[in-house]
Amino acid sequence: MTKTKEKQHAAPRGSRKAEADRDTKEPATSGIRKKFRIFSVRSGMDMPFLFLILTLLVIGLVMLFSASYANAYYRHGSSYFFISRQAFFAVLGVAAMIFISYFDYHHLHKFAIPILLVSFMALALVLFTPRINGVHRWIDLGPLGQFQPSEVAKFGMILVFSHLISLNFKRMDTFRYGVLPYILILGATVGLLVLEPHISATVIMVILAGVMLFIGGVRLRWFGLAFGGAGAAVAYLVLFTQKFSYANDRIVAWLDPFSTASKAIMEDTWQTRQSLYAIGSGGLLGLGLGQSRQKYLYLPEPQNDFIFAIVCEELGFIGALIIIILFAMLVWRGISISLKAKDKFGMLLGIGLVVQVGLQVVLNIAVVTNTIPNTGISLPFFSYGGTSLVILLAEMGIVLSISRTSAIEKT
Amino acid sequence: MAKGTTIRMWRRTIFVLVVLIAVGFGAIIFSLARLQLVEGESLQTRAVDQQLKDTSISAQRGTIYDCNMKPLAQSATVWKVVLEPAFITDKNREKIADGLSKILGMDKNEIMERSKKKTYYDELKRKVETDVKDEVLKFKSDNEIGSGIRLIEDYKRYYPYGAFAASVLGFTGTDSQGLYGIEKQYDSYLTGVPGKLVTAKNAIGTDMPFQYEQKVEAQNGSSLVLTIDEVVQHFLEKNLQEGVITNKVGNRACGIVMNVKTGAILGMAVKGDFDPNNPFTVADQTEAAQIAAMPEGTAKNDALKAAREKQWRNKAVSDTYYPGSVFKMVTGSSAMEEGVVNENSTFFCSGSIKVSDRTIHCWRSYGHGSENFVQGLCNSCNPVFVQLGERLGPDNFFKYFTAFGLTAKTGIDLPGESRSIFYTAAQLNPVELATESFGQNFSITPIQMITAAAAVANGGYLVQPHVVSQIVDADGNIVKTADTTPKRQVISTDISQRMCKILQTNATIGTAKNGYLPGYRVGGKTGTSQKMDVFQKTGTMQYIASYCGFAPADDPQVAMLVFYDEPHGDSYYGAAVAGPVFSRTMEEILPYLGVERKYTDTELAKLDVTAPDVVGKTVAQAKADLVKIKLTPKVYGSGEKVVSQVPEPGKTIPQNGTVVLFMDDSGASKTATVPKLVGLSLSAANKRAADAGINISISGAALTNGNNPISNSQSIAEGTKVAPGTVVTVGFIEPNQVE
Repeated sequence: MTKTKEKQHAAPRGSRKAEADRDTKEPATSGIRKKFRIFSVRSGMDMPFLFLILTLLVIGLVMLFSASYANAYYRHGSSYFFISRQAFFAVLGVAAMIFISYFDYHHLHKFAIPILLVSFMALALVLFTPRINGVHRWIDLGPLGQFQPSEVAKFGMILVFSHLISLNFKRMDTFRYGVLPYILILGATVGLLVLEPHISATVIMVILAGVMLFIGGVRLRWFGLAFGGAGAAVAYLVLFTQKFSYANDRIVAWLDPFSTASKAIMEDTWQTRQSLYAIGSGGLLGLGLGQSRQKYLYLPEPQNDFIFAIVCEELGFIGALIIIILFAMLVWRGISISLKAKDKFGMLLGIGLVVQVGLQVVLNIAVVTNTIPNTGISLPFFSYGGTSLVILLAEMGIVLSISRTSAIEKT
Repeated sequence: MAKGTTIRMWRRTIFVLVVLIAVGFGAIIFSLARLQLVEGESLQTRAVDQQLKDTSISAQRGTIYDCNMKPLAQSATVWKVVLEPAFITDKNREKIADGLSKILGMDKNEIMERSKKKTYYDELKRKVETDVKDEVLKFKSDNEIGSGIRLIEDYKRYYPYGAFAASVLGFTGTDSQGLYGIEKQYDSYLTGVPGKLVTAKNAIGTDMPFQYEQKVEAQNGSSLVLTIDEVVQHFLEKNLQEGVITNKVGNRACGIVMNVKTGAILGMAVKGDFDPNNPFTVADQTEAAQIAAMPEGTAKNDALKAAREKQWRNKAVSDTYYPGSVFKMVTGSSAMEEGVVNENSTFFCSGSIKVSDRTIHCWRSYGHGSENFVQGLCNSCNPVFVQLGERLGPDNFFKYFTAFGLTAKTGIDLPGESRSIFYTAAQLNPVELATESFGQNFSITPIQMITAAAAVANGGYLVQPHVVSQIVDADGNIVKTADTTPKRQVISTDISQRMCKILQTNATIGTAKNGYLPGYRVGGKTGTSQKMDVFQKTGTMQYIASYCGFAPADDPQVAMLVFYDEPHGDSYYGAAVAGPVFSRTMEEILPYLGVERKYTDTELAKLDVTAPDVVGKTVAQAKADLVKIKLTPKVYGSGEKVVSQVPEPGKTIPQNGTVVLFMDDSGASKTATVPKLVGLSLSAANKRAADAGINISISGAALTNGNNPISNSQSIAEGTKVAPGTVVTVGFIEPNQVE
């Protein structure tokens, strides 16, 4: 498998890439030994992608500090409470990312099923933890902080889908190999997530699965069927059950965040309102870094899901736009890397991971701007959360690993 | 087939990418642009609304000065003790509540409860003095309480003279808002504009550390310079109060001193007033005790309310009364101006006069007989004025009535001025005209009466009475100056001067002679009005005794009206009740105001002399010196030469008085006891003083060609031990003087 990959990759891609070519050629001369190497440095990683990750990470840390210090001071007695922890995990995460980028992602084939099983177990386990804010969503890892099994579940699903699609690529137009296994995996995952309940993760999972199957070559008619079925299911749940009353309230709040109709609704929309105040206060140029007023206990937990509202308040529309463009570039670059990956496994894995980031960014900012109803989605590289940052950076490490063998120009 | 990306995967990936970028990122950028660029301003306004807090900064209320810049009302700094519950922890709550309850004299549990409120600002106590503030500060530092208790500067109104000019000054409420008097009238000038401290706050209401603080300084209130002269006011109040006591006045008294040329009120006093420092305390102790004894309930509250409102009411501008005979100066002036009478016009008074079908009586039932106009006025003869009214006719009478300003409010700059009640020209049938001619049957305010009298004295020019001469802003700029130009000329200067002479005669030998002052050329008119409304209600007749006059009659400067409502003393006549108060007050304020004495020959003959210096001379020499100027020497001791003398050299001593000469040092131990000198005739008083070894200086009616003056006051109280020869001033009035 690895041998053939190298051939594909052997063609020189221009004089400036001489060094990169040499890197890719070098392992080719010792192909036998490589089989036994976990780390297979064949080529440099994609520098623009790395640069985008580090840029977003640094901006994210600066903004996390700015957004969190007031809250940290009032709630935890130290302005550095959040930033010190996040910085630690960022360093850990970057190290993990670089480390993983040297790791031959093909070994992940072997981990696909075990990781899926681990994620199922974690999703099941989390249902037995005490509720936090009315939901089972976090597992306490002690000194490492809290950890969301859904983070692992997302990765597990991306990995196992990439694994299965790349293995059964030619049979993707059949039901048995192209639809059924994925439906089962997705169904089980979603089922567990709904029990938490965790709507945002469910939505992301479903979209990600759809995207991967779509790219993986599933016939379009299945999508038609899925949309129809999902629509009917949602309509049933909303109309005939109380299961989604939690969502219903949020939808009411979403439609009119400034409604003063009832105290309950006002309490419900408090976060959204404060977020909109923050964003609006930013205007075109913002109040200046560190100058947010809404972070002074108005916006609850400004270091978490609503951090982008503080970003908008301090850096204005221009600053927010630059950050969104950086994210868009990250997605673009990540997809470009994946498209030129030397095999379908790398391609699907890369796209899955990058689209997941893009999706989270879009959904997070859509929530912050009240474009969609409020649901808990964190902003990659920005929101506070040690384990999720480490997982995110590790995933980016995989993309970088893919980039090492990708045919993309890496400067 | 390649291992890598197939064409279809390419296409589908690009589709996903385009959807994600265009729809996803496009949507959020669109949302952001809408929120930040389109709705930004309105969202920011709403954000700022919740982020900012206003703290009001009190403006210092302006000072009220008398005409010599003595402060009559001023605001001093006091403190507001504010609790900041948001900063109080469970650890120090108990300690704070305990400490503050002791310092502020408040209930500890109440403070405990209030410290648990979810707010950052709770006013515990207002108007706390600086010493209490210092105690709070000490408590804070002793217990290392950083935040949780705040002290905010505030102001409290002080009236340094206490119950002084209270009716004019009025008072302020708890928020320093003017409630009565000048404080109310000029509230907008005095108040100033409170400042604002705008700071940012976080969601729990405490200050945000980011730099947003905007201070709008308080604009302190403007100060007022009154026309009131503290000295004049003091004399007026003192004498007015004395009169209230001597005459057992039932329904308060008022007095007004006015500059006839400018309308400036130099003094305005109401007795039965209050202390503006404690306006809600009933000042009349008898009344306060009565109310305190009442059982709790509506009746008590009503009584308290009524008592307060009564003491606050400025009688001088808010009460109306029948001016009575004082008004005759207006009728007389009008008639002279119209040429229907002159000084020599003759009248006959039989004791009554018939008007239509009514018989109107003169106050002297047997009549005044034949008299000229001057004598008629001096006699305050009603039939004379009834005839003047007839001669004027309703139209002319009402024309002058209006011109003298009696149909409209004077417009004095004090709140609560009442309207007068009168008959219009058309309503004046003969009987009404006749009674109005001598001051009955219509009601005016005291301020209207004195303003009209001032016009009579001031060359016929009617001036605007006012109490504020200047408004000075906080920076010392004069914002407004009172307009002192006369409103109009009511009578000619010639008639005015002739009327002044007639009124001077009246105050010298006529019914108004109790207002007489040697050397000061007083012109005046007495008035005794019947309170018909009270009579109709209760069947008992009550009177208002008043005296209105001015000085000096040859160049009038000051007019004064004294007014006693329901005197229950020996007399209820204006001449006996109000006249002496008028003269005593004028005697004190005229020298103060720099009005020069000019004596007539008759007055000079009775004038006091100056004690010569005979100390160091021999007995014979000293005696000779004293006898030469008609003083009687009285020698004590056995020395060669005079060691000391009483009265001391340079002191005034009545003519024919006694000078005591001490020939040795025994004089220091010699004393004389002041005898009772009131209620005596002039000769009896002289004799009693001589027997006691003291001198008397006489004042008042005994100095004129009076008939039977009786002393009614003495400057040193009976029984006082004084040095022999000490001069005691004894006031005389004509007690039987009526009208």
